[in-house]
Amino acid sequence: MSILLTKDTRAIVQGATGRIGQVQTRWMLEYGTKIVAGVTPGQGGSTVHGVPVYDNVAEAVEKEGANATVLFVPARFAKSAVLESIDAGLKLIVAVPEHIPVHDSMELRAAARAKGTWLIGPNTPGIISPGIGKLGIMPGNMFQPGRIGVISRSGTLAYEVAGYINDAGFGESTLVGIGGDPVIGPDIPDILAEFEKDPETDAVVLVGEIGGSAEEEAAGYIAQMKKPVVAYIAGRTAPPGRRMGHAGASIRAGQGTVADKSRALSEAGALVAQAIADIPRLLESKLK
Amino acid sequence: MRLLEYQGKEILRRHGVATPQGLVATTPEQAREAAVKLGPAVVKVQIPTGGRGKAGGIKVADSPEEAAQRAAELLGATIKGFEVETLLVEEKAALEQELYLGITIANRHGVAVLMFCASGGMDIEEVAAKTPELVHKMEIPPGRKLEEYEARNLIRKAGFTGKTLVQIATIATKLYQCFCEYDLVVAEINPLGILADGRVVAADCKMEVDDNALFRHSEFGSDGDQIRDPLAREAKDIGVTYVKLDGDIGIIASGAGLGMNTMDLIQEKGHRPANFLETGGGITRELMRRAVQLVAKHEQVRGIIVNLYGGVNPLVAAAEGVVDGVEALPERLPVVVKALGNQQEEAQAVLKAAGIPVVNSVRTEDAVAELVRQLEGRSA
Repeated sequence: MSILLTKDTRAIVQGATGRIGQVQTRWMLEYGTKIVAGVTPGQGGSTVHGVPVYDNVAEAVEKEGANATVLFVPARFAKSAVLESIDAGLKLIVAVPEHIPVHDSMELRAAARAKGTWLIGPNTPGIISPGIGKLGIMPGNMFQPGRIGVISRSGTLAYEVAGYINDAGFGESTLVGIGGDPVIGPDIPDILAEFEKDPETDAVVLVGEIGGSAEEEAAGYIAQMKKPVVAYIAGRTAPPGRRMGHAGASIRAGQGTVADKSRALSEAGALVAQAIADIPRLLESKLK
Repeated sequence: MRLLEYQGKEILRRHGVATPQGLVATTPEQAREAAVKLGPAVVKVQIPTGGRGKAGGIKVADSPEEAAQRAAELLGATIKGFEVETLLVEEKAALEQELYLGITIANRHGVAVLMFCASGGMDIEEVAAKTPELVHKMEIPPGRKLEEYEARNLIRKAGFTGKTLVQIATIATKLYQCFCEYDLVVAEINPLGILADGRVVAADCKMEVDDNALFRHSEFGSDGDQIRDPLAREAKDIGVTYVKLDGDIGIIASGAGLGMNTMDLIQEKGHRPANFLETGGGITRELMRRAVQLVAKHEQVRGIIVNLYGGVNPLVAAAEGVVDGVEALPERLPVVVKALGNQQEEAQAVLKAAGIPVVNSVRTEDAVAELVRQLEGRSA
């Protein structure tokens, strides 16, 4: 089992005919992902790596039974593309692009929630359920099937964490990159709740970073969970007031520091790792 | 991108929000002419940051001669790190009361937040910190306008009634129109002033446009000119995020979280990062070559860690760029590369062929340890 991206997921790629879209479509197919269609307005009737391309999402849903999408469209077209997929009734939308205007993201978040659609991102590496498939840009070779759920704001850091989890013999059930932007689709508790009810996930690793208050606000939910949560927050040496790459990652007026987040998480019963290298030991303390 | 006060006020006036009368001046002579038209005036430097009043960037001028003199002093001066090129000469408005009106984004909920406080002015942050109950807030869901009655409901909580209440509420709805129309992430009128005759005017204005939305607001140009640090400006040109720090180890990472984690690990090993550099997902050979050279320009850099994952980024091109960059350095610096993901074998082969050490481990701490070992080997 896995969450969100399961054996029943039949995905389309929006922007499959673009330079990045083509490469990523191939890698997702090679990983075993069920990619049933590509969608690029104006390119309907062509194919990408043997996958049929349609002009509209609705047509791909009708002809191929698609129920999910991953986007590789330029940021300025992303809002329209996501709205199209929400409207077509897709239940899982993975918005990879970075630099989507925040006012667009605000609308998309509201639209997805109103329809009960999972919007992952924007600015996300995507979601991978090792052994089943991946919708996104993460390198497949960094992951192994297993029973640890991973939630991460950062893509690259998630790959690193997965490496440690693999080395310790665990592996991942699903890894969800929630997105590095200030406004994103998922709230951390939404994803935690999916892992909590997934019979094939034993524990969750939460990889956060400085800035905002998402981790602190997740603490309330973590306190009610039965499954153990191990958390790591990056950026303890980041200087206050500077934006560290992710638009969301800056410490403002003494808030959003590693210490604040660690304290809130630890009071909620999460095990807080001081370094990524400590994560396997903390998992072992709960699972072995 | 932070707009200058006069740009924000032009936007406000176009939407029907009153401001004090003012004229832009870039020479002392223009400042004099402005003061002739306006009478007793204030001369305000136009720089893209706050706190200019306390830094001496706002001067009173009671005569045109004085306006010219103040302008001569301020133009070309450096205030809060910015060279002053533009002034706003404004009529001296006697404010009976200073209020605060602002809109920002509550990131976690993905909605705009309207804020109003009856005590505005320079000390608003202190008011907000000490007596947060005096700052009245309401969330505005995306995709619809702010109704006047909603704004009135908020503002009357601060004790305003009658015509003043209606005027402030109207300004709030207009400020929200600006917020949406110009893709603002911050829109603030502080102070919002009440004049002796009861009129409410925007005495100052702070607007910050979402950099990611600048493509649909070509009227604002690029924000590159607002970057003070020459290295950060070069980074903007290359297309990477660069934050200068004061340590000795340079960092190039292909993601923000990975970059921060690399910083944390360097500190743990007793060194300090010289910078944070994140490439994002657009690595090319040329970008990487320039990134290496940029990081090496920091005067304290003694070694560089390149930490990459090939997801959307092409690792082989990245490796070739690192080799180009290192070979073009005036002086050979120790560089250690960790590059994993798609194409990792080919990328590592490119680096090894050029004699650049590659750490084939998922652990960033191993790359940090390798670089530290090389640095200590050098100094020994």
